[in-house]
Amino acid sequence: MASLYERLGGEKAVDAAVELFYRTVLADGRIARFFEGVNMEDQLAKQKSFLTMAFGGPNKYTGKDMRKAHERLVAKGLNDSHVDAVIEDLSRTLRQLGVGEKEVQEVAALANSVRGDVLNH
Amino acid sequence: MTLLTYREAAIEIEPGEDVLSALLRAEIDAPHSCRSGVCQSCLHRAVEGNPPAAAQQGLSNAQKALGYFLACVCVPDTPLTIVPAQEAGTRSEAVVHSIDRLSGDVVRLRLEHDPVFAYRPGQFLELIADDGLGRHYSLASLPEEDPFVELHIRLHPGGRMSRFIAEELAPGRRLHIAGPLGTCIYEGVDPDQPMALIGSGTGLAPLIGVLRDALRRGHRGPIRLYHGARERDGLYLHDHLWALTKRHTNLHYVPRVLSDSGPHGGDVAAAALEHENALPHTAFFLCGGEKLVGRLKRDLFLKGASLKQMRTDTFLPAGSGR
Ligand code: FES
Repeated sequence: MASLYERLGGEKAVDAAVELFYRTVLADGRIARFFEGVNMEDQLAKQKSFLTMAFGGPNKYTGKDMRKAHERLVAKGLNDSHVDAVIEDLSRTLRQLGVGEKEVQEVAALANSVRGDVLNH
Repeated sequence: MTLLTYREAAIEIEPGEDVLSALLRAEIDAPHSCRSGVCQSCLHRAVEGNPPAAAQQGLSNAQKALGYFLACVCVPDTPLTIVPAQEAGTRSEAVVHSIDRLSGDVVRLRLEHDPVFAYRPGQFLELIADDGLGRHYSLASLPEEDPFVELHIRLHPGGRMSRFIAEELAPGRRLHIAGPLGTCIYEGVDPDQPMALIGSGTGLAPLIGVLRDALRRGHRGPIRLYHGARERDGLYLHDHLWALTKRHTNLHYVPRVLSDSGPHGGDVAAAALEHENALPHTAFFLCGGEKLVGRLKRDLFLKGASLKQMRTDTFLPAGSGR
């Protein structure tokens, strides 16, 4: 069977999702403060890496990178509730794009699998 | 045959090897993260040669046209001379053609450069004073029409570069420049696309360059130019821009003066955010101080504009570059 990444439409799907997802996250009062003062282009590129990873696509991100990327945010108080909010926003974005419920669940599960690295547990 | 030249040093690249790996092997501390062409942290620019298309995937049309590429997925088959994305490249000599006051604290500097300095309007260059002091200034001229390169420079009281410009530059004086840099250019805009050009102070310089480029190439979509200044005197091309709107019916000019309570009074960002409905296909050009550009970028994006359709030129405070 095709990989989740392929089933969703590969790079095209990531491209369609990335701005919508980032907009959703930025407008989400629960997590918006973590994005204050960041360079938006860099952040969008990071969102793209994250989505590629969450879709199970080609991305060599390691647990170590995940930890390093979120270190500063953990220091600012990033916790489980924020990861939940991000996964919720991601699921909403995918539903808005017409992705089927089964795939939405698979993406959420993949995103959830890096929780420990993100939160430095 | 040397395939890779980095900041003028030849670097061995093995068959099939990507540029990032070759740089790292040569102990160059090149930034990187995902190593799979996704995160864009390994961005470099080819100042000579054409990077393969695969190394430019996901970049904006402006970046592609200017030779930017992702080193981690770049396996060159023809020679490339590259520099880090933020670096201006080699210096060359220019001669002052003229220097005039445009307003109380803005001067127009025109430089002659031989051979022709290749750039796109809206890019910027590094101006280098005798003791190596360098600052970035945007290009307001059009290479197809102007025999000189034009910069609009705001003079800061007490600024080292400002003093050099005010006291030492006169027609005939030689100095050095490097560049060009920046992706705030017309490249990749569709002729029927709406355009919104928003800037404050000498952020008008790159916008004028882009505007002239768009008009010269027959842009048909509506163009809205917002220029903000603290004082009335800061609208340093007011009359010229009004005259231009008479000749081009698709051009709208919206001046805003912060200290004024008249019809043109107010904050330029607020005016732009109020008038622009930020459709995803509007091309935005945002130029000026960090705060202005950051606010516009974020608020326009949240209103529905696409980041890919935003070209920005952020003026950093003196000391950090401009
Ligand atoms: S290292 Fe991420 S795009 Fe090259």
